Amino acid sequence: MVKIFIDDKELEVSNGLTILRAAEGAGIPIPHFCYHPAFAPEGSCRMCLVEISGLPKLELACSTVVREGMKILTASEKVIEARKAVLEFLLAEHPLDCPICDKAGECKLQDYFEEYGFFASRFKEAKEKREKKVQISKNLILDRERCILCTRCLRFLSEITKTQDVGVLNRGIHSEIAVYESNFIDNHYAGNLAELCPVGAITDTDFRFKTRAWFLVKKESICPMCSRGCNIFIDSHPGFARTPLAQRVYRIRARENQDINSFWICDFGRYHYSYIDQGRQERIVLKKEAKDTELSWEKALIILAEKVKSLVYLKKKSRIGVILNTWLTNEELYLADKVFKKGLGLENIYVVDPPSEKGDDFLLTEERTPNRRGLKEVGLPDLTPDLGKLALQTDLLLIFGTFLVGRFSVTELKSAFDKIGTKFLFAAHKSALDSLVDVVIPTPLIAEKGGSLTNVNGKVQSFSPALDNSLGLPEWKLLIDLAKELKINHKPFWQLSSPQAILEEMGRGIPFFK
Amino acid sequence: MEEKILTKDFGLKNLFKIKVYLQQGGYKAVKKALEQMRPAEILDEVKKANLRGRGGAGFPAGVKWGFVPQKTDKPKYLCVNADEGEPGTFKDRYIMSHNPHLLLEGVIIASFAVGIHSAFIYIRGEYEAVADRLEEAIAEAKADGFLGKNILEIGFDLEVVVHRGAGAYICGEETALLESLEGKSGHPRLKPPFPASIGLFQCPTVINNVETLANVPAIILNGADWFVKKGLPKDGGTRIFGVSGMVKNPGIYELPIGTNLRKIIFEAAGGMKDGKTLKAVIPGGMSAPILKADEIDLAMDFDSLVEAGSMLGSAAVIVIDQETPILEVLKAVSKFYSHESCGQCTPCRIGISWINKIVRRIASGQGEKDDVDAIICLAENIKGKTLCPLGDAAALPILSICRKFRQELEGQLSR
Repeated sequence: MVKIFIDDKELEVSNGLTILRAAEGAGIPIPHFCYHPAFAPEGSCRMCLVEISGLPKLELACSTVVREGMKILTASEKVIEARKAVLEFLLAEHPLDCPICDKAGECKLQDYFEEYGFFASRFKEAKEKREKKVQISKNLILDRERCILCTRCLRFLSEITKTQDVGVLNRGIHSEIAVYESNFIDNHYAGNLAELCPVGAITDTDFRFKTRAWFLVKKESICPMCSRGCNIFIDSHPGFARTPLAQRVYRIRARENQDINSFWICDFGRYHYSYIDQGRQERIVLKKEAKDTELSWEKALIILAEKVKSLVYLKKKSRIGVILNTWLTNEELYLADKVFKKGLGLENIYVVDPPSEKGDDFLLTEERTPNRRGLKEVGLPDLTPDLGKLALQTDLLLIFGTFLVGRFSVTELKSAFDKIGTKFLFAAHKSALDSLVDVVIPTPLIAEKGGSLTNVNGKVQSFSPALDNSLGLPEWKLLIDLAKELKINHKPFWQLSSPQAILEEMGRGIPFFK
Repeated sequence: MEEKILTKDFGLKNLFKIKVYLQQGGYKAVKKALEQMRPAEILDEVKKANLRGRGGAGFPAGVKWGFVPQKTDKPKYLCVNADEGEPGTFKDRYIMSHNPHLLLEGVIIASFAVGIHSAFIYIRGEYEAVADRLEEAIAEAKADGFLGKNILEIGFDLEVVVHRGAGAYICGEETALLESLEGKSGHPRLKPPFPASIGLFQCPTVINNVETLANVPAIILNGADWFVKKGLPKDGGTRIFGVSGMVKNPGIYELPIGTNLRKIIFEAAGGMKDGKTLKAVIPGGMSAPILKADEIDLAMDFDSLVEAGSMLGSAAVIVIDQETPILEVLKAVSKFYSHESCGQCTPCRIGISWINKIVRRIASGQGEKDDVDAIICLAENIKGKTLCPLGDAAALPILSICRKFRQELEGQLSR
């Protein structure tokens, strides 16, 4: 540890820390463009210059390491003037097209100008004309007039993806970021570049001109697209009072977690969000002779419980089948185990997940579902149903999720389901299963509920709802209600009223979840 | 006149041939250093000689060599900075084309002293014939056993490679030179780490100017005391002053460090051309702040020039006469640095280009009343705030021109 002073505040900080990191740790932000904690200091934007007592020149906060007794001024007149100077230089050659720039509202250049500037430009000369729409990857567009040459994109592509697709071409005022000849940024982490860009130079066609950043509500969540469990932000638009919007979610962004995904997410997780707002189940529906009747959960619950009870009473509980999936949270899988396996003593419990696909050597895993590890730790069997057998041995089938559709053809499903007496479907999305079952019960998505997931490496991560849920009750709630209705006796356990409380209870029974 | 060190034999025909060079006592210094001295002794001698870097910054060469770690698993490299790009500077070209073996001797001795087995001469691309001559000299030295494997049969190996630059002034900045040598574009590196610990290909590296290394053989042969006596106690030896501009006899003049600037212009270079009147002098290459005609009674050494608000730099003396509009000088300076900025850091990339745009506007007759103030303010915002010394190299001469010739410049503003 060394003792330093930042703006007369005495601090004890670790050896080897840079001034910028030490200051940030003490809640003193130091403005910067090119510095990013994922990379070695670049020192080129010159925005983070600070004054160090005894030194004639201003020094870089991003690369200067603290020394015992160092006295650092981060807001002296000299420092403020230097920051203004950098801003004036950058803005001199900047197109100032903020009204049509997607970064507006979350642009470092814009924010710092608000903080240090509001000075009139002295620049009377002609600005350099550069290309404003260079397609550098499937989804990314580079605007060279907005680029401040921080080279974060270059460093990401050389240090993180190691694909080295871009370089700085030409010299001096003509310097520009360019994709190397006969090259194209073609890796499934490229989407990080638009986020990494501190200004609006790299924008994402997926987000470009769709909405304004300041309308978006930014909530934390976990990516469910594979078993890595990358931490994300879900940015959603609450809509306007008189103009409802067709979608809520406008983008997914990476959220820093050094244990899991560092600062990044893959493009598969980033761009897969339309499912949240499209094709959703909206009502509980009883399907009878080609006629749909809307039901309340209370009614549906009674119907379901009666079916279960009668089969149990007739000693035919072996003819009840349950199909789970690992988009269910740890808590829900635990409750499924408690209710179906331990409570009712059912044997035909299966799991149907999205099929595995090729992963990569960075974040994306083969398991394209978030909680297979959770299933294992809860202790549920990981059995895939044989449709033919299932059809012959089942009178009541509870299906969670719609992943059967991806595994079997509709014809196969129909011929099997026709043989099964009653089928309950708990699903977030409309699918081909809807017309094959008797009752459809809408459920929320991971983005809309709370709980925890266990990632591929056994890391349990809790999350809260990132979006409002008005479509259906979460599965953990449905399972508790069902257990109550069936009077499955499990102590005060059934009074648990939140995922957190369930997880605590789980910790008492399963050391893994402690 | 005082005895010269570097240029004394320049008059000889074919001095660049090893045969002629050997007849003049060439490679005696290498023999003495390698056969009779230990590396530490060489280092001490060069340190004692106060040989300061001739490229511009004036850092003591012996101290620089001493920074290289003695114990390391990595190879060490020597890079000879022959990227002579500072406008007004042409001394290294003379050394390399007239006396390439003198440089090679310096390279061999420095390498032996530091424990280096690979040396690169990074030469500016435009010096094509000079590079050819260096390569011929290297081949000759190798054939005579002064380079290659087992030099002088003492078990010391050294290979020297001539690397041609591609025409960027910035590659004369030592870390940009390293980047360029590694095959990347010439963008200066953030320091620290310094090249002595992490340099070429991440290995410990010594980077010395041509003239600096060319002084080493004489120090070895005659001793540090002799060398110091040639110049000043803290600034040993001679300098090759490259005088250009409106003088009768432009050219190179090797004179003791500390020689009076007026004497260099009016005695060595024969005074003003065609009876013109002296207006100003840039004393150390284009990046040195300008001196007015009445400021030239100065000793030409590092410390005296710093005291006078300028710098000795590469000791390239550019002489400007009264008839030359100062705006033309400002235009040349701002255009050059705007063109040569590598573009890596903000103040240099945009600031110098901005100044250049203002100067061009003034020159086109569209100057406005606050333009000179704007230039001064912008240059102040570049000064001391850039990643490498190029920002200062541009800002300092621009500031000095604007401040010392403000009246003349303001006379050019139309509105």
